[in-house]
Amino acid sequence: MTAPRWLHPCLRACGLALIAAGSVFPIYMIAIESLKSVHEDVTGNPLIVLHPTLKWYLGLFDPVVWLRGEIAVQSVPFLVWLANTAIVFAGALAITLVTSVMGAYALGRLRPPGWRTWRRALFATYLIPQSLLFLPLYTLVFRLNLDDNLLALILIYPMLAVPFCVWLLSAYYQRLDPEVEESAYIEGASRTTAFLRIILPMSWPTVVAAGVFALGVISSDSIFAAVFLPNQFHQTLAAGLGTMGPSMDNLSVVAAVNLAAGTVVPIAALSAGAYVRGLTAAMVEGA
Amino acid sequence: MAQMVAAPSGAKNGQVFGRGELARRRHDVVVAYLLLAPAVLLVLGVLAYPLGWLVEISLTNSSVLDTSTKLVWLGNYAGFLRDAEFWRASANTLGYLAITAILKMAVGVGIALLLARPFPGRPLVFVATFLPWAYPGGLGAVGWYWFLIPPLHSSYSVFMGDLHLFFDSRLGEGTWGFISLIAFNVWRGGSFVGIFLLAALNGIPEDLFDYATTEVKNAWRKFWMVTVPLLRPFLALATFLSLTGAAVDLGNVYYISGFRNVYPIVWTQAFHLALFGGQWGRAAALSLILMPVLTLILFICYRVFEPLEEDVA
Repeated sequence: MTAPRWLHPCLRACGLALIAAGSVFPIYMIAIESLKSVHEDVTGNPLIVLHPTLKWYLGLFDPVVWLRGEIAVQSVPFLVWLANTAIVFAGALAITLVTSVMGAYALGRLRPPGWRTWRRALFATYLIPQSLLFLPLYTLVFRLNLDDNLLALILIYPMLAVPFCVWLLSAYYQRLDPEVEESAYIEGASRTTAFLRIILPMSWPTVVAAGVFALGVISSDSIFAAVFLPNQFHQTLAAGLGTMGPSMDNLSVVAAVNLAAGTVVPIAALSAGAYVRGLTAAMVEGA
Repeated sequence: MAQMVAAPSGAKNGQVFGRGELARRRHDVVVAYLLLAPAVLLVLGVLAYPLGWLVEISLTNSSVLDTSTKLVWLGNYAGFLRDAEFWRASANTLGYLAITAILKMAVGVGIALLLARPFPGRPLVFVATFLPWAYPGGLGAVGWYWFLIPPLHSSYSVFMGDLHLFFDSRLGEGTWGFISLIAFNVWRGGSFVGIFLLAALNGIPEDLFDYATTEVKNAWRKFWMVTVPLLRPFLALATFLSLTGAAVDLGNVYYISGFRNVYPIVWTQAFHLALFGGQWGRAAALSLILMPVLTLILFICYRVFEPLEEDVA
């Protein structure tokens, strides 16, 4: 039962090494494959790259040639996709956060009759399998004249993130000590002023955590993007990359995946701490 | 104001609410509904039409081949329940959900416990474990799919092909596809659960653990008697989120793999029936048929994470 005293730290170090390696390994594999020449990809060592080349990356930025309004080259409009993705993410994130903060304040602070049921009803929507939902959703988008339009995604994506964000933020507002605002009311401030000046700044870490979660959920979708955006020049990265097959003599897709994800990794690294702090703040009484 | 609960707006208890208080309460309730409206519209509003459409079409024999659509009521559902193939796919689906949920919990609890106490280099390991979930799932699926089931010849595809054959020849066609699905989902979801539980652990006062350590000496027993009960509501919430995440990843892998029915799972079969078979009625019924089971799981989770929703006294 009693293990030797030195064994425990060793086990722990092994566990940590295993978790870190397992987390990073697939990302590493994609990264090195994108740096390989065709020759090395087939005949080289799978785990390392000896002769890195940036060929595939540079190919992503080749100008896309238009010919009588038609696409003439099989080039990836990578920058177009990147810009579309940025627009969609920014729009969807802004809508998600604003509506979530409003809804969460209503449920956690004002507590209308049945507030708990509302929160649970929102949360229950995660149960609905999305695998077939996109077809009726597509007809809806079509009727709104939003097909092949980035607005479709901006309106649909909040549906995926809002329930969790409302739950998280309303848990925070619910646990916040009421006396925080009381003094402001005594001074004659309105609810809005008290919220904007006192409560919102206090809940900032949790708002950031909700934002990180929303980004994670939004960026994990590929089906909605693929179905709603048939035109190559209106696609986001997830939709566009799914349409490209890799081929023996072209690894552009691997480079594109790696480059697109590479923009997310620094953001993730910077926000990881804030994400955990915000989650904790929502979970702990009185924050 | 502090101890005010959601009283029905017509409550006649003048001892608690003065006349002005009651008017203010009414005003608050109205404001609350107004503030809640956008979120509800974006979620329930956007979902209402598609869901209604799915339910409606699942009661008909709607199909591309036969344009005379008529009501068959629960015929589609009954047809599946008599179908042995459906039961196999259901077993696969529930197996997939259960295996991924258990593995994600194990990985997540491991990450949370290992990272809970400081050690040199903790920030680096912490960011590393956060990456799988932060890595965009749609893109990650691309990389994973090529890595595990190489579509063309590359330096590692020989080894991967051997693995593929090894599993499929012993356990039946599609086993390796199933394993790769699980690996991808656990890689992403385990990271999410780990970070989520780490946040929960950070919120539990240290002295609770210290007190427990003086009472319970054995680490294994301490884990089951102290850590798990303290984390219980968060575990339930994480379980629920990992089930839904498992379903989302399924769609991603399906799309990335060029709509090949990677492994017979209820939702991908429904997808297939609709897109390649044109049998809309049956496909809609198939996609809804597991809802009762999932709803039951959700209610169990709600019961367990009840403490999270308690009012602060």
